Amino acid sequence: MRTIKIAIMAAAVACVSSFSTFAQTAEEVIKKHIDAIGGEAAWKKVNSIKMEGSINYSGTEVPVTVYMKHKKAMKAEFSYAGMTGYTILTDKAGWVYLPFGGQTKPEPMTEDDVKKSQEDLDVQGKLIDYKAKGFTVTFLGKDDVEGTECFKIKVVSPAKKEETMYFDATNFYHIRSTSKVDMNGKEVEMTQTYSNFKKLPEGIVWAMNQDSGNGPMTVKSVEINKTIEDAVFAPKN
Amino acid sequence: MKKVVLLSLSAICAIAVQAQTKINSYTFGAKEARWLGPGTMSGRITAIEGVANDGKTLYIGTAGGGIWKSTNAGASFKPIFDKYCMSIGCIAVDQSNPATVFAGTGESNMRNSVSIGDGLYMSSDAGDNWTKVGLDSTEHIAKIAIDPQNSQNIFVAVPGPLWSDSKHRGLYKSTDGGKTWNKILYVNEKTGCADVLVDPSDPQTIFASMWEFRRFPYAFSSGGKSSGMYKSTDGGRTWKEIKEGLPAKPFGRIAMALAPSAPKNMLAIVESKETGLYISSDGGETWKSQSATMNVVSRPFYFSCLVVDPKDPKRVYRPGYGFSYSDDGGHSFSDASYEGGWVHSDHHALWINPKYTNQMYLGTDGGVYHSLDRGATWMFAYNLPVGQFYHVACDNKTPYNMYGGLQDNGSWMAPSEAPGGVNNSNWTSLYGGDGFWTVPDGADNNVAYAESQGGNIGRIDLKNFKSVDVAPQKVAGDEKLRWNWNTPIVVGQSNKHNLYTGAQYLYKTTNQGRTWNKISGDLTTNDKKKQQQEESGGLSEDNTSAENHCTIFTICESPLDENIVWVGTDDGNLQVTFDGGKTWTNCAKNCAAAGIANQAWVSSIEASLYDKNTAYATFDNHMYGDMATYLAVTHDGGKTWQRINSTEFTGFAHKIKEDVKNRNLLFLGTERGLFCTIDGGESWFRMKNHVPDYSIVRDIQIQPQTNDLVFATHGRGIMVINDISSIRAITKDIADKEVYVFEHPPMPITTGKYGGGGSPVSGGWWGGNPDDIAPIEYYLKDRANEDVKVEIYDANKNLVQSFPGSKRKGLNRVYWNMRMKPPKTATGGTKADYGSFIAPMVLPGNYVVKVKVGEKEYTTPLKMVHDESNKLFNEDDRKTQFDAGMKIYHMHEELAALVDKINTDQKMIKTALDSTVGAKSKKWLNDYYNKLEELRNTLLASKHKSIFADEKKLREEITELYSAVVNVESRPSNLQLQKLDVLTDDLKKGKDSYEKIDGEYKAAAPKVISDGKGNKGTQRVGGQ
Repeated sequence: MRTIKIAIMAAAVACVSSFSTFAQTAEEVIKKHIDAIGGEAAWKKVNSIKMEGSINYSGTEVPVTVYMKHKKAMKAEFSYAGMTGYTILTDKAGWVYLPFGGQTKPEPMTEDDVKKSQEDLDVQGKLIDYKAKGFTVTFLGKDDVEGTECFKIKVVSPAKKEETMYFDATNFYHIRSTSKVDMNGKEVEMTQTYSNFKKLPEGIVWAMNQDSGNGPMTVKSVEINKTIEDAVFAPKN
Repeated sequence: MKKVVLLSLSAICAIAVQAQTKINSYTFGAKEARWLGPGTMSGRITAIEGVANDGKTLYIGTAGGGIWKSTNAGASFKPIFDKYCMSIGCIAVDQSNPATVFAGTGESNMRNSVSIGDGLYMSSDAGDNWTKVGLDSTEHIAKIAIDPQNSQNIFVAVPGPLWSDSKHRGLYKSTDGGKTWNKILYVNEKTGCADVLVDPSDPQTIFASMWEFRRFPYAFSSGGKSSGMYKSTDGGRTWKEIKEGLPAKPFGRIAMALAPSAPKNMLAIVESKETGLYISSDGGETWKSQSATMNVVSRPFYFSCLVVDPKDPKRVYRPGYGFSYSDDGGHSFSDASYEGGWVHSDHHALWINPKYTNQMYLGTDGGVYHSLDRGATWMFAYNLPVGQFYHVACDNKTPYNMYGGLQDNGSWMAPSEAPGGVNNSNWTSLYGGDGFWTVPDGADNNVAYAESQGGNIGRIDLKNFKSVDVAPQKVAGDEKLRWNWNTPIVVGQSNKHNLYTGAQYLYKTTNQGRTWNKISGDLTTNDKKKQQQEESGGLSEDNTSAENHCTIFTICESPLDENIVWVGTDDGNLQVTFDGGKTWTNCAKNCAAAGIANQAWVSSIEASLYDKNTAYATFDNHMYGDMATYLAVTHDGGKTWQRINSTEFTGFAHKIKEDVKNRNLLFLGTERGLFCTIDGGESWFRMKNHVPDYSIVRDIQIQPQTNDLVFATHGRGIMVINDISSIRAITKDIADKEVYVFEHPPMPITTGKYGGGGSPVSGGWWGGNPDDIAPIEYYLKDRANEDVKVEIYDANKNLVQSFPGSKRKGLNRVYWNMRMKPPKTATGGTKADYGSFIAPMVLPGNYVVKVKVGEKEYTTPLKMVHDESNKLFNEDDRKTQFDAGMKIYHMHEELAALVDKINTDQKMIKTALDSTVGAKSKKWLNDYYNKLEELRNTLLASKHKSIFADEKKLREEITELYSAVVNVESRPSNLQLQKLDVLTDDLKKGKDSYEKIDGEYKAAAPKVISDGKGNKGTQRVGGQ
């Protein structure tokens, strides 16, 4: 009888242990995440991305196109009612153009904003070679995102920008980020949510649904390493 | 044997499988509580700490609402401690590294209703994330002092438990930045550390005040021979007691302060037989008594705050019953002015910006105040919803009103919804004092009842808010009436004309308190040893009715039979009558047999709506040092009870509530959380639906018309989870499905409940409204990793609308605006036109909701009906509106097609121009282009870009009419319909003009266009 009890206890312990094997480190979680989204090698080959999709506002689809050239430039362009607005950030400057309310010419970003935003030009993502890039990471245990158990990691950039990233504990996809941004002396909290992960022909995994608080965006196509002319990043109206 | 092991294994695995589909708070996570606040009257503030370097980052610790942070000097606050204990004793920021913040839980203003802490927490990222770093069993932490020269050294003053002896009291020190702790000053199990100071000029010099104190349910004692003031000059290794110049012992609580700019100058308020203010000018070695005003020395157990200006050693602040300040080092005091408005009494916290000492923040029993003139005048922060409600009640009006009483902030009512959302201005004050039970009359919509502490009951006329004192009186033959601090006032559930209240006797009235009948004898234990309240307080007399005992604490009339009334007392009796009060049975022994502590307060009784003999009860034994959650049920009229327990439970229990439609759905409110069962109490889960994990939930109601769960928190105001129908509807079968689309009741087609708009209310607290339109609800077993889309089809299977669906685990709620897809509108012009975001509301009829999760589809029928609640808009109006709206819709699409043609033509003309060299041809092309441009300029606004310059052309005219017709619930007016005809004509004219230009120029094109090489007609223009 004693043997049975021990066996049951052992089984119970094994079962319980399987629920609590999350003695993870930030490094381990990030490695599993990178493996889950295609691996470091595949991501290191990414030099440009063109993503097309749309944001749904009350049933109206607003087309969005995002162009990114690794460490050089990015542009998010959206069109509505025959007008096209954009945000452009390059390694030297940036502009915002929103003609929908009557803006007549692109407004340049402040030098400080351009400087602080440079890390956004890393199309391979901050977690690829994060140590070499100067990011520090802290494992903050488990937390839930709308009921989904996640690993929570705080990432601090060399420019001291902080982002808290949530990785789905079952598949290690990055499903949410929260960050606080200092906007001209004001602290603004931002949340980005990712879902609908698809593997692209290049081997990397991409979130086909993204939401940065402006409405859910559905990604229709992603082109990797196709030539993007520099002229795309010139401010025009 | 092997078989047995395998069976056991499969049993364990079965548990594991079941765990995957467990119904818990996440199942309903989308049903988020609204925080109604209000901010009009806030709650008790226990700690305020700021960041010296920026002067605008503030941390506010509250008695029962956690920690709130502002990064803008108080313009707005956000809660940052909602996963942890709600009762905050103290906060400290490491000013040399302000990202490091400590929070000691368990308020130390040791009043009767103070809550309990669970240790010391630390954040390394300015409050974003917290880790508990020890002192788990201390229950109350009064102060944290960080060595300003070496922030690895941290001192924590721990008074310790209020309701029991404890070895966990004393002064603690960490020398490793909070990782480990050592107790460095301890007297005995009855004496804790109430205050600690570190000399900033010599951090080896530490001062501590030790305090002997204890509460019982029926008495309080502050003071004893073990209290005293201590000084160490070696960082806390050795201590000496300071006596010279201080009064004779015993001492009670001692508040201490030193002047940061001249630390030898110290002040102390020493509670003793003659409590007084003492001043030292030699670093605490010797003290001199100083006369002081009543405010400086009053109620020392409750007012322990004394602060010296960071720069000026002569400027001393005494936040106490009121706010006093001194300009001469404490020799004389003045009181703050009410010029800027009344400052709530009872002060517990003060933070002075050390860089700009005019700026200060004061924490009171009624919220936070801000001064810019060194405390002379104050402005209230209306944006902290940390009110401490004891009870909540709802009436049956539409919208219903919520009624509740607040610790030290009176009794109030507010509508559950309002145009623009419920804000501070929607709250109306009903009654003064400490507020508790505030209930609407069961039968008369114009009457409510409220009370102040100790059973002062008023009947309030809700038309003019005048009140009449209706408390029952002691009459011949009665003993002195004993009214609880929090006396129950209860309306009958079976007979709405019945109103009950209780001292030691139960009273009933059927005419709004004009005539009372005593329907019981003394229902308490009437233990005379527990009735010595006049002796209560210890060194300082303190008898405010807070310790009144052997009283009735809860009353419940059965909803099935008015003759069945249950009564619970604060001394362990649970009594029931089945004959309207003629005979009573005490169930106390039966409860004890179920494992309920003997003398526990019966905190709530819930007579079942489904069975006369079933009742639930909660019991609270924390005043005897027992924090267990006691919940029990009887199914035989109180003869036997079964204790209901769960490993999920935390905190002593305040309230059990049975759902009004599903007998297996119950809610439990405790000092540390809101809990729910959907299986009649077999399993429970903590509600986290935008509810802080350890909310102090004192009362729960379910409003039957709206199915709203309304609960009173003691520190976060009133919260409402609107319409819990989907919580009722979920079953384990549904929870096991991958995807489930709920059935929906017929949905009235509406633009929403309220219009309004205009400028939002500036500042204050906003509690929002329930859903404006009904949601579409579906359940996902796990978070969707695929695309989720919701599509609406009409009866002919035409796609009406589609939009992205949410993907959260559990219940999802998405909102269809009850409209079609908007039209394509003309592109171009100088300003965006919003016509492409507007669509007509659909007509009543049968529709189908299709939820697409990846490749799979799930459907449910949806009946859309006319909104009968709008008497000014009938079905015929709706049809007329729809027809007009659709005509305008099509006009937009036709105009869009026309403008597309023009745009295409113009583009091709430009291309032709590039390859055309002949001057005549160029001119002709330019003329052609300009004719089209001239036409285009009549169709779209194309001149003014400024948003302040209105320019209306055909597109804008159409949108203006379109918006006016379809964005409202109204039949179009005669002139709107005539305008429609006018615009139809204008559109026709535009089309005709185009056809004319097109005919004129396109026919001539081959003859005119030359490429410069003698070839004619090689460039084709036009849109054919």
